[in-house]
Amino acid sequence: MEHFDLSRRKFLKSSAVAVGALVAVGAGVGYLQKITAEKRINQKFLRPPGSIDEKDFIYACIKCGLCIQICPVHAIKFAGIKEGLAYGTPYIDVREQACDLSCDSIQCVETCPTAALYFVPFKNAGEKAIEQYDKTHKVDENYNPFPVQIRAMKENVKMGVAKVNEHTCLAALGKGFRGTPRGDDFKGINRTPDGSSAKATPLKDKVYNRKICNLCVTECPMGETAIVLDKHTGADGTEKFLPKVLDGCVGCGVCVMVCPTREPSIIVEPVKS
Amino acid sequence: MFGKNNKKPLPSKSKEELPYVKAGMSFKAWREKFGGKHKWRTIRWSVLLGINGLFILSFMFDLSMLEGSLSGSRLVGFYLMDPFNTLQQLVISFYTGHWVHLTMNFVIGASTIFIFYFLMGGRTFCSWVCPYHFLAEWGEKLHNYFVKKKKIKEHTYNRYLRYLFWVGFLLLAFLTRNLVFEDINPVGILSRAMIYGPGLILLWILILITFEIVYSKRFWCRYVCPIGTTWSMVGNLSPFGVKFDLDKCAHCRDCQTVCLVPHELWFVEKGKATSQRHDVGSDCTRCGLCIDICPGNALSYTIKGWDKIL
Repeated sequence: MEHFDLSRRKFLKSSAVAVGALVAVGAGVGYLQKITAEKRINQKFLRPPGSIDEKDFIYACIKCGLCIQICPVHAIKFAGIKEGLAYGTPYIDVREQACDLSCDSIQCVETCPTAALYFVPFKNAGEKAIEQYDKTHKVDENYNPFPVQIRAMKENVKMGVAKVNEHTCLAALGKGFRGTPRGDDFKGINRTPDGSSAKATPLKDKVYNRKICNLCVTECPMGETAIVLDKHTGADGTEKFLPKVLDGCVGCGVCVMVCPTREPSIIVEPVKS
Repeated sequence: MFGKNNKKPLPSKSKEELPYVKAGMSFKAWREKFGGKHKWRTIRWSVLLGINGLFILSFMFDLSMLEGSLSGSRLVGFYLMDPFNTLQQLVISFYTGHWVHLTMNFVIGASTIFIFYFLMGGRTFCSWVCPYHFLAEWGEKLHNYFVKKKKIKEHTYNRYLRYLFWVGFLLLAFLTRNLVFEDINPVGILSRAMIYGPGLILLWILILITFEIVYSKRFWCRYVCPIGTTWSMVGNLSPFGVKFDLDKCAHCRDCQTVCLVPHELWFVEKGKATSQRHDVGSDCTRCGLCIDICPGNALSYTIKGWDKIL
């Protein structure tokens, strides 16, 4: 009986320690989540396409890494503990590698097993587009609804909205650009908007020559529904330019990646939910 | 699960019935000749490294064989889900009413892995797949060495602490609406670090393994890990396991010294066994260390019911 009492006391003692540890872990994690969720809204990192509301995302994501694995340009990365996001959740740093939307079906969303990246809206948008296409092209010889479908799905990506900084933008300053925008050792790749080559092209291999810099406009995978180079005549009669972001912007961040200024003159603000 | 046993033990064997006497050898010579093999350990480590290697190669060379990580993965297009993540999400979903993430892939992934490990014995996952188990096995060797040299003392706890942690982590998930356990889960952390590159979070693994080496043997696996606890519950009725033949046992208890969960081998002690044959309980990880070390081959893998049919 004495032995039993002793082991019971030991069990109760270690249980108390265990409960204490759990409370500490819970409080710590809860606090960190709270401050990072608030912080995330104002920082440069984006969640991948189709991510649900941050407070649900944080538990819907099981940190498996399937979205990271399937992304053809490796835009999605795992947050470490120093990124200020919940550890192990996926994010996109568009300045380093933008999501260039050159994939076939927004696979990152389709592959997510727990719908932290929610595929249903994309699927519906795609189906609706096919329906529309069918009405006019059913008898067409070159019947191919696929481009229409994927276009509709891409329009449904809403990671954020681009915003131009008028004070540093080369176009706004009336300057052109010549050369490779991010230097010769930049690792990012970009295969939009033409998508003619099967392999992704490293940005360091692309050479541009523009009288007025408009890289963000010409490289945008969404084209002129998202960003155009606005031209107007100033009060003193000179021509002024400024990239103008439109409703079609999905926040993919290619413009941020290709922007040749030291600090990007265009940034993507995450969608606020 | 709780190792309860109310049957009366069989009478102890007489000296003539002990296997080394039957073989006409001294205990020491018999034990040295037949014990301490490494057959199953070699096979198991190959499988463990193979599975984790396949994860790494799949990402490195875009093989599409085994993608994701041990938290959730896809085996040639077929989803698999970690059971404790599944449980945590279910618990949170009850609270938030947000069931959207219960996709078909989620259901398939969770049930497939459940059925697979039910058949394979539950905690089979721990010793045959879990990378932290592999690390901790080496830590255990170091720990044993230090204990033998009397540099450190052994600290043990009550093994039912695991159930407390199991409930506790689910409760934490419920209260904070967050996969709290996944943030400190060494299985996921190691798996992700190996596949997608290391991070500062590996310091946590270092702390854990150091604690296990210098303070308490196999602390995480024995007393904390809710994944192992979940598998141990699943493995309760598993057909695949380890069986024990009293006839071939010399009560040397070598198996208990190598076992992660020695309480499951209670029947190898002299005068404890209640029948000629025993099946090891659900805490057993089916690692095969006891099978390797047993000089009399008293322990072996079995499919329950199968050997009766034969």
